[in-house]
Formats: sequence, structure tokens, C-alpha cells
Amino acid sequence: MHLAVFIKQVPDTTEVKINPETGTLIRTGVPSIINPYDHFALQSALELKKKHGFKVTVISMGPPQAKSVVQLALALGADEGILLSDRAFAGSDTWATSYALSRAAKKAGKLDLILCGMQAIDGDTAQVGPGVAQQLGMAQVTFCEHIDLDGKKFIVKKLIDNGYEMVEVKPPALFTMIMPNDYAPKYPSFREIHAALAKPYQVWSAGDIGAEERYLGLKGSPTQVNKIYPPPLKGKAQMTHGSTHQAVEKLLEIMKEKHFIGE
Amino acid sequence: MPSMDAISRNLMLDSLRDYAKRRLPYDFIRQHDADNEFPAEILKEMTDPAILGVHLLMIPTKYGGVSGGTYDIYRFCEALAHIDLGIATSVFATFLGTDPLNVGGTEEQKEKWLTRIAEERLLVAYAATEPDAGSDLVNLKTRAEHVVKNGKLTGYRLTGAKQWISNGGVADLYTVLALAPGGPCWFIVEREMEGFSPNKHEDKHGIRLSNTAGLSLDNVYVPVENLIGLEEGKGLLQAQAVFGYTRLMVAAFGLGAGLEAVEIAARYSQQRIQAGGPLSDKQGYTHKFLVPNIVRLEAARAYIEETANRLDSGEHGLQTEGAVAKYFATESGNKAAEDAIQALGGYGYTRDFPVEKIKRDVKITCIYEGTSEVLEMTIYRGRWQEHLKTRGRYYIDLADKMDALHADNAGVGAGAAALALRSLAAVLEECRVQKLTRHQHVTFKLGRLIAMVEAAYVFSQAAAQERYSESVRFDAQGWQAMARVFARDAALTIAAEGVALVLGSAEGAVNLSVDIAAAAASQKGLTADMDLVAVKLKQTFKAK
Repeated sequence: MHLAVFIKQVPDTTEVKINPETGTLIRTGVPSIINPYDHFALQSALELKKKHGFKVTVISMGPPQAKSVVQLALALGADEGILLSDRAFAGSDTWATSYALSRAAKKAGKLDLILCGMQAIDGDTAQVGPGVAQQLGMAQVTFCEHIDLDGKKFIVKKLIDNGYEMVEVKPPALFTMIMPNDYAPKYPSFREIHAALAKPYQVWSAGDIGAEERYLGLKGSPTQVNKIYPPPLKGKAQMTHGSTHQAVEKLLEIMKEKHFIGE
Repeated sequence: MPSMDAISRNLMLDSLRDYAKRRLPYDFIRQHDADNEFPAEILKEMTDPAILGVHLLMIPTKYGGVSGGTYDIYRFCEALAHIDLGIATSVFATFLGTDPLNVGGTEEQKEKWLTRIAEERLLVAYAATEPDAGSDLVNLKTRAEHVVKNGKLTGYRLTGAKQWISNGGVADLYTVLALAPGGPCWFIVEREMEGFSPNKHEDKHGIRLSNTAGLSLDNVYVPVENLIGLEEGKGLLQAQAVFGYTRLMVAAFGLGAGLEAVEIAARYSQQRIQAGGPLSDKQGYTHKFLVPNIVRLEAARAYIEETANRLDSGEHGLQTEGAVAKYFATESGNKAAEDAIQALGGYGYTRDFPVEKIKRDVKITCIYEGTSEVLEMTIYRGRWQEHLKTRGRYYIDLADKMDALHADNAGVGAGAAALALRSLAAVLEECRVQKLTRHQHVTFKLGRLIAMVEAAYVFSQAAAQERYSESVRFDAQGWQAMARVFARDAALTIAAEGVALVLGSAEGAVNLSVDIAAAAASQKGLTADMDLVAVKLKQTFKAK
């Protein structure tokens, strides 16, 4: 089977500050990392490779320096790397990105499975994975934590409210992955990083994937971002203690005191 | 070796940092520091090719390594120093121990030993220092006597004592400098060889996670094939050949440890509220403890990088540059750590915060691989020759370059750097005319001044580049402000101290063309620039 993982390079959001005057991100000195959800998706793919001998192709879209996350994936064990990089892609929203990635997936050959992170930590939209599945007409399962193969079916463990759902899916399919709480991302050894330089790596332009320019970039994007701003600071929190009943009593008391509700 | 591609280098640095985050939390380091204990299992993991394989940087690809260049090694040494200088020293000792092989080994020796070091994770120690031979290796006393069988040289018998050998008690393999009948040479000694024994682990002021021990060699038989290069008498040359390079590694230690201290203080200062506001907003704090230190350390970075890039592009030796880099970076790191203790007040004096340990650790960088004073002498000697050879043009030519740069870009301190260079040229010339270098004090002091002025020259040049190297965490506005602050300091220091040096030592009338008024005038705008640097520090090292 042939499996593709979509990965994205993102700024390490724990290090990013927002300029309060302009509403833009201060990126200087902020390291770029692989989106942590994608990192887990990649590790899930590599486990399937180990168990079942899948071929794993990683695909990313971004500026030339995003090669770094593709090399990381190759060092961790992916077989082939592809970077979609072209000025035409710049400014693409989730719809245009899904379109470009689905074109790339078609060019990459017959794919039995596509894995994506649930969302990227910079935009937090969680729309690209489902968007690609839609564009490709593939079955999709979102918020997955674990994947197994049972004969020709995938068995996926999907997070739902209050528990998990086990879903059987026939290939081809697309799953978006969450991150388990106890998960620790793996990083490659120096030798693996060095060896990755010899693995197949390609850069594809919009032309290479046969994408129509009118569906790409800012002009192909239905979403327009007006402004980015930090959420307003919240007031002081007050904690209530005791049993649920006591806490509710206390809460009612406070709300009455502040005249949020009547007597 | 040229350096590797930036992506691979940075992925390896990420892997190293991730490892440190998982396996080397401060509590672990603190406990080992208190117990004076070498974390053997950590070093075994760090050199495991399946986990990290940090030692592979020093080993060419054809022997199973990853062929790191000087720039790469500098980046890793800096990163290691951020983690713990004791662990960094242990890794460095393997690098250093491998050096004589890399430089002087025959193809067969490299194939055999470098492959083994790569695959078997052998810890290596570099054994040159003796009780009576530190930087002055000419006093070497360890002897290597010929063992002849049937008229044929089959090996050597090594006898002597080595002192302060990093990894001395824990290494698997030692490269030992000894005096053979044909002169000094390096031998590969294995731990199990009969007559070889490490002494007790030293109880040190700092780098307590690094094992340091003396070695006893009592008639140790070493087969002839373990003589590095299979030729006697090349040992000192082989040791000298890598000084430019090895001193750069220690320079990176000073840089990394000093920066770690500044970072901790900068983050702390944003959380510590005193007199109605955070310390990070108070000039009395920032302009004393943080700004001068980050400025010196970034100047040191610029100097280290330039030297690393020159070595990677095929220049050889660069001993004076290696000495300037090490001297300037380690003294700056030491000062930064000292100030960080004061910056954290009572907390800085406790072991709950790491600055106290950094201060103890970083001191060694001013001592090993050539003490600061040996380096002052080395720097003076190297540049004094240039001054004489060029009939005093050496620094004037550099000043002309700085003036040209200033005309092109007035925002990088090149004007002040030019002033500093001209003053230095004048001071050197007057020292020549008055024969002042007969005073050892003058020569060492010249070494100090030269290091500072050259750092200013390189920093202004680096700050004027359109794109900065991957290691620079500040934007152009911040880095250029730092270059201006540093160049002003250099201009004033060389003017004041250079003049004092000459006037203080000369017996007759002095004719010194140092423009003190210009150096003073160049200070205009200093406080505003320091304010800007303080803001950049806050942006770059955010409170956690």
C-alpha cells in the first residue's frame, strides 16, 4: 500500500508574540518547527510502514525553507519527499491549500491512505484534511488516535465526546490525527539525518501538479483575513471549592451579588 | 572539512535539544554536579548512533561519521554549552582526542580507529598536559622508548604521568603525547593496556559532570602501528595544526554558557517586580547586567563565525584568530555569568537557579586549551609580527576598510571601529619606537586590546550584511545597535587604555597620534542604543 502524510512547517507558537499596535506576528528569532499534530501523523504512518511494509510519501506546501520538515520526515523514515513550492501558492487559504494538496496527491500516484494532523498550530482551522478528502472524493475520519490494518480494512480509533469510537474504513481514505496525551515526538539520530540527504526529494510547482492558477493563492481563496488580534484579557478568575452542589450554590450567590441574575 | 548543509545541521541541533529536554532536566544536572558524578549512561546514549551520535560530527563520512565542518562544530559546542558545560567538555574531549588521528593518522589508522570510535561509541581522551608541561609542551617528560625485536622496531614503552585529562578516568581510548627518540609524537593507548592506569577523579570548582583525572603510564607497551602517522617528531606540529580549530570550540563554550546566563537573567528580569515595575524596564539593571554582556557575546559570535567560515573555506592555521576568538568569547562568557548572579540577587546565589553553576562551569573556558594569559601572549605575538611586516599598515588598512563601510552604512559602528583601529595602530607603533614590548605587561595588555578591536572590526562588518547567519536571534535593528555599542566601547577603551599603556611605560617623550577627543565624541547616542538593545532582549528572551 502507498500512504501519504501531509505535513506543515509552522512557527513555534509558544515563542510567538503579537505586536499589539499592528496586530501582526513578531517572527524574528522564532524557530520554525513541524506542526506537532503532523509529527504524530507521520509517526503513525511510520508505524504502519514498519508493521505492514507501506510506502510512505510526505508532502508539504510552503516556501523553500519548508524543505526542512520534509528532510525531518525522511530522516525519521519516510521513503520519498515532495515540497509544493511556488509563488502561486502564496496566501492560499484552507480551500486553495486543499485544492493544491489534492492535485499533488493525484500526481503522487495511487494512494491508499492519506494522513494529516488534525490542525496546524498556527491557524488552528482543522479544515485542510477534510478539504482534501472532499476534493479527492475519499472517505475521511477526523480526530483519530490510532490506526490498524485488518486485512484490507483500516480500523481507526476516533476521539469523540466522553470516549472513543472504533471505525472500519476501506481504502482509499483520509484520516486526521489528534495527539495522545502521553505521546513524545521522536527525533532522528545524526546518522539518519545525514542518510536522508540521499532519499528521493522533489519540488513541485503549480504547473507540475496541473493546478489552475485561479484556484490558488490570494485570488483563489474565498477567505479574507481582516485582522489578527490577541483575545482580550479576561478579568480575575475566582475559584469555588467543595462539592458540585456547594459550588453551584456559591456561584448563584456570586451572580446574585453582582446582579447578573435577580433574587 | 567544509560544513554540512544548513537543514541537516539544524535538524541535528533540534535532535540534540530534544534529547537534552527529555534526559537532562536541571534537577538531574544539579544532582550530578553536587555529587561530582560523571553521567556515564548519558554519554553512552549521546554517542549511540541509533539515538544521537554526536561524536559522528568529527568523523568523516567514509568512516561512518557525518563529516561536520568547523561552523557545524561551533554550533554544536554552543548548543552543548547551553545544556551543561561538563557534558559539553566530555563530548569535546572525544572530539579533541580524535584530532591527532584526523590530522596526522595514516589512511589505515583512520580506517581502523575512526570506524571503531564511530561504531563502538568509544569515549576518547586527549592526553597532552603534564605536571610540568601545560601550554609549554616543550617540557614534556613522558618518554616513549623503542622496543626492538630481531633488529626491527616493533613498538614503544611509554612511561610518565599526565594531568587534568578530560575523560581521563572514563575513556576507552587515549591519544597520548610522548617524547620518542625522534621527537614528540602521539600514540593511541587503549585503556586495557598493561601498565596504564587512570588516577582519581578530580574534585573541581565547576564542570563537575565531566570526568577529569591524571594518568599513570608505567612501561606501557604500545605496538608500532599505534604511533600516529607512523613517524616520530611530528607531535607538536600535529597539536599546533588544530589550535585554530579547537580553540574555536572552546570559544563556542564560552559563548553558549554566557548566553545561557544572559537569557536566564533577561527572562527573570521581566517577572521580578521592584519599585512598581519589572526590572527589565529599569536602565540601572539592564544597562549594567544585560546589555553590555549581550553586546560582547554577540561580538564574540561574529568573530567565531568569521573564523569558522574561513577555516571551512580552506584557510589553514588561523592560530591568532583562534586565540582571539577563544580569549574574547570565554572572558565575555565568564563576565556574563558573573553578572547574571548579581542580576538574580539572592536567587542567583542559590543552587535553585542555574546561574551559580554556570559561573563555576564557565571559568574553565578561560583556563583549558590555553589560558587567557597564554592567549594574550599568542595574540600579541601574531599581530606584532603583522605590524612589523606591514610597517605599521596592518590596522591602518583595516581602518580604511571600516571608513569605507561607514560611508556606505553609517549604522553599524564602522566609524567608531575605524577610530579604534587607528588608535591601535598608533599605540603599536609607539610601542615599537619606544621599545616598550620589553615589558611583558605591555605585550599582554596589547593582546587584550587587539582582541577587542578586532572583534569590533568583525562585528561591524557582520552587522552590515544583508542577511545574518542562522545563529543570530536578533533583527538588523537590534544587531546593528549592538555593533554600534560595541564599536564605541572599543574606540574609547583603546584610546584611554592604549594611551595609558604607552605613557605609563615610556621613559622619554611620547609622540602618540591617538584621537581621544574623537573617541569621546563617538559616544554620542550610546544610551539610546543601549535602550534599544534592552528592548530587543526583552522581545527575544520572553518571560516563560
